[in-house]
Amino acid sequence: MAGGGEKKSKANATGGGKKKEVKKETGLGLSYKKDENFGEWYSEVVVNGEMIEYYDISGCYIIRPWAMSIWETMQKFFDAEIKKMKIQNCYFPLFVSPTVLQKEKDHIEGFAPEVAWVTKSGESDLEVPIAIRPTSETVMYPYYSKWIRGHRDLPLKLNQWCNVVRWEFSNPTPFIRSREFLWQEGHTAFATKSEADDEILELYRRIYEEFLAVPVIKGKKSELEKFAGGLYTTTVEAFIPNTGRGIQGATSHCLGQNFSKMFEIIFENEKGEKAMAWQNSWAYTTRTIGVMVMVHGDDKGLVLPPRVASVQVIVVPVPYKDADTQGIFDACTATVETLCEAGICANMDSRDNYSPGWKYSHWEMKGVPLRIEIGPKDLAKNQVRAVRRDNGAKVDLPRSSLVERIKELLDEIQESLFVAAKQRRDACIQIVKTWDEFVEALGQRKMILAPWCDEEEVEKDVKARTKGEMGAAKTLCSPLEQPEIPEGTLCFASGKPAKRWSYWGRSY
Amino acid sequence: MVSALRLPSLHLTNLFSSSPCISRRSSAILRRHHRLRPPPTLTAGFSAQSAASSPPETDDKVVEIEKNRASQDRGNRERVITPRSQDFNAWYLDVISNAELADYGPVRGTMVIRPYGYAIWEAIQDYLNVKFKETGHSNMYFPQFIPYSFIEKEASHVEGFSPELALVTIGGGKELEEKLVVRPTSETIVNHMFTQWIHSYRDLPLLVNQWANVTRWEMRTKPFVRTLEFLWQEGHTAHATPEEAEKEAMQMIDIYTKFAYEHTAIPVIAGRKSKVETFAGASRTYTIEAMMGDKRALQAGTSHNLGQNFSLAFGTQFTDENGQRQHVWQTSWAISTRFVGGIIMTHGDDTGLMLPPRIAPIQVVIVPIWKKADEKTGVLSAALSAKEVLQKSGIRVKLDDSDQRTPGWKFNFWEMKGIPLRIEIGPRDVSSGSVVISRRDVPGKQGKVFGISMEPSILEAYVKDKLDEIQSALLERATSFRDSNIVDVSSYEELKEAISMGKWARGPWSASDADELKVKEETGATIRCFPFEQPQGNKTCFMTGNPAQEVALFAKSY
Repeated sequence: MAGGGEKKSKANATGGGKKKEVKKETGLGLSYKKDENFGEWYSEVVVNGEMIEYYDISGCYIIRPWAMSIWETMQKFFDAEIKKMKIQNCYFPLFVSPTVLQKEKDHIEGFAPEVAWVTKSGESDLEVPIAIRPTSETVMYPYYSKWIRGHRDLPLKLNQWCNVVRWEFSNPTPFIRSREFLWQEGHTAFATKSEADDEILELYRRIYEEFLAVPVIKGKKSELEKFAGGLYTTTVEAFIPNTGRGIQGATSHCLGQNFSKMFEIIFENEKGEKAMAWQNSWAYTTRTIGVMVMVHGDDKGLVLPPRVASVQVIVVPVPYKDADTQGIFDACTATVETLCEAGICANMDSRDNYSPGWKYSHWEMKGVPLRIEIGPKDLAKNQVRAVRRDNGAKVDLPRSSLVERIKELLDEIQESLFVAAKQRRDACIQIVKTWDEFVEALGQRKMILAPWCDEEEVEKDVKARTKGEMGAAKTLCSPLEQPEIPEGTLCFASGKPAKRWSYWGRSY
Repeated sequence: MVSALRLPSLHLTNLFSSSPCISRRSSAILRRHHRLRPPPTLTAGFSAQSAASSPPETDDKVVEIEKNRASQDRGNRERVITPRSQDFNAWYLDVISNAELADYGPVRGTMVIRPYGYAIWEAIQDYLNVKFKETGHSNMYFPQFIPYSFIEKEASHVEGFSPELALVTIGGGKELEEKLVVRPTSETIVNHMFTQWIHSYRDLPLLVNQWANVTRWEMRTKPFVRTLEFLWQEGHTAHATPEEAEKEAMQMIDIYTKFAYEHTAIPVIAGRKSKVETFAGASRTYTIEAMMGDKRALQAGTSHNLGQNFSLAFGTQFTDENGQRQHVWQTSWAISTRFVGGIIMTHGDDTGLMLPPRIAPIQVVIVPIWKKADEKTGVLSAALSAKEVLQKSGIRVKLDDSDQRTPGWKFNFWEMKGIPLRIEIGPRDVSSGSVVISRRDVPGKQGKVFGISMEPSILEAYVKDKLDEIQSALLERATSFRDSNIVDVSSYEELKEAISMGKWARGPWSASDADELKVKEETGATIRCFPFEQPQGNKTCFMTGNPAQEVALFAKSY
């Protein structure tokens, strides 16, 4: 079918081949290892973990309930937090007319190559093709211009949850780079620049670190990497050790007065003078889920942090021959009830056509943080066996104190996933001072922290000099928390005096 | 400024077309034509900074705005709402504009849902999402683009939708190999995937839902009621037996019905669609039909029993317990942002919006009133503590403490926004430890009660009680309006008469599809549904004189 057959058939082929291979054991499993073939491993794990289904249109994916619930968990947190900040939700149309889209020159240069166009309705051609939003600055700001008149109309703080479309041709990857994705986009307008410095980045850090257990670095994007048409861009950057690539986690753009100039977002200030509004826009996308999968997943499948897992505990009955099957099932049911009442998301896998072993593999593939097994011995001792997904550790828990112990374990798992991920990430960070060190570190797929002169030409030069099969190096961000720069420190690339420390590396 | 955005090719009559431009200086954006009106005049004797504590002055009729302020203030200029009785459509557009529910989108027939309108949608979502999950449905997300070949697979489906499809043919600067449909609904893509996910009876039932935007390139549009793009939820399920599918379709229409009655105070009539009105591709369509303030019918939600139509077209099969391959039985069901339009048109009045408490983003507004500066502190702190008391008990409350506006202006403003209850606190109230409470649904003195104690437990109980009372009162009012405008007919002449009077007609019907179309052509009315609740006894079709099984409900509709 349309363009994307290649990726799909590849995924199907691997899926099919794998099934035959390991069928003897469980019928489940991954045919690729994370350390050996990361790309294939990722495509396989998001499909077999039932997060994603490939689709006939390349770069468009179906988000299945297992992934959607993770998105919903983050959404619930973020939505409540921004409402506390008096940010209101709204909804602007999907369709953008070409005239508004082209209003901001730099902006359109950034997005035009990726736009999808509606050219027909029914059988008839539209006289003017209509764009599908790649982002909504140009859709929203004419209304900001209309709604904002006086300083009392400010600040105007709006957010929307929606889908956007960017028709890219570079290698599509589920969650990480897809032609349609879900996101929130916040757009705020203020009377002064100081108000426009916001706290959104901290919420993004919390989503990654507290929910997804993925360590991120808060930083500022370089001139070359900032949002087209904005003043500056701040970001939370994650790192994927296996591929040695940085990944932009979420961004917040200070747009300055650039868009308010183009879209005439003018207000009368308290002195009765006309002034232009200061604006921000900020977004995080379903990419968050992909980063989480890449960071925590292993050769058995997904590993979900408890705070975002829609099933935190899976209870599997283990009835041996001649055992008290009914007793075991009753104990499982009671365990699920006890846990659910305590607010823990627990489920029982009571299917009779699969063996306990098959079920273990199945739920490991889906990344459920904790498995509870109840067999005849456990029944006799009035205990359950709990098995951690993250490290495989097994522990017997008395049913009398089950709730407390399970809660402790879930907290521990959440914490240790983050700690382990941070250790792996930190081990990849390499401080370099010279070009030679830089090249060496890049070859070792490091996340490189280097003193930099912060000149656009130099970044372009670094890109050109590192161009190769794996892609060029670029700045990831300049961390907001800057290490000290001793007097006389020189830029690793240009030899000019260094202005700041920046992270460099290859990136998604 | 951006009027070039219009699509000149679409020159058919439509409500949006004459001024879809987002002209910065146009204050009457949602109007069909700009009307020049004088600003509201100052009513003699009203002292803007006094109010609630002195009853005679707070009569709502006297509450008006100082002329000089009004003339400088765009907010006040916009607050003129066409009386509902004079021109229902103009009234509707005025309410949407003035209450800041929505604005026209940049492309003809699209709309911007503003925070206040969106908050109503969120309230709908919050309720339904919980109900869907309670009944075992999971949320997921299907892509917005559907290959054209998918749409063609189910014959009646493509026939029903093809004139309204928006097609993407260019992406990333290149002509696409296959044109892509911007989803008008997702049955086809859902079935394409169900075919891959469903293998055996153990995979059934498969119950999913998505919250998404959909696009239908409509010619005649109206904010919320019919827009090119709208938001909705669409549920899709697959079952092993026709009985289960039927049960599911009925269960979902029941959930919608309960929601309409209990939360939005809209006394919908639930029933089955006629064959002519059935969804393209469904075996049976169930619907909830609501009577709007102008007595036109609004289809507010539908649930379809799709039978095996899509599973046959897509080959969605499963192996049953006996090892036999069978096609699945399916349903789909949806409620959209159209429902917001239904709420506006059911309850609104000449003053503006009127929101049922359970769906209102703000249930109570507190307006503090002070004349002298030394009264301000006491009044504000009393207002704040009242707010905290109510907030703590889960009531959605807003304190309007801005000193830019007079209390009179605020009264009008929040009434126009449809807030169910208003609490007024003035200096005298502070000294007596009480407040004044006014109901939105009962205008003037009748809806106003003085001397409600500020004692937290009393205030909280009183407000909760009043909110419940308003909720039931709105439902009662809408129900009696509905019932007094449905006429039982036993002949076509009677139907014609009822319809010409703008009423709904209910009568026994067993005539043909052709007869149904004739009624539509001659009277403009369609069969809204065969209500689930049917009168007892033998019936004779009013059109043909033949025996009839059921009565049908006819009305002009949106």
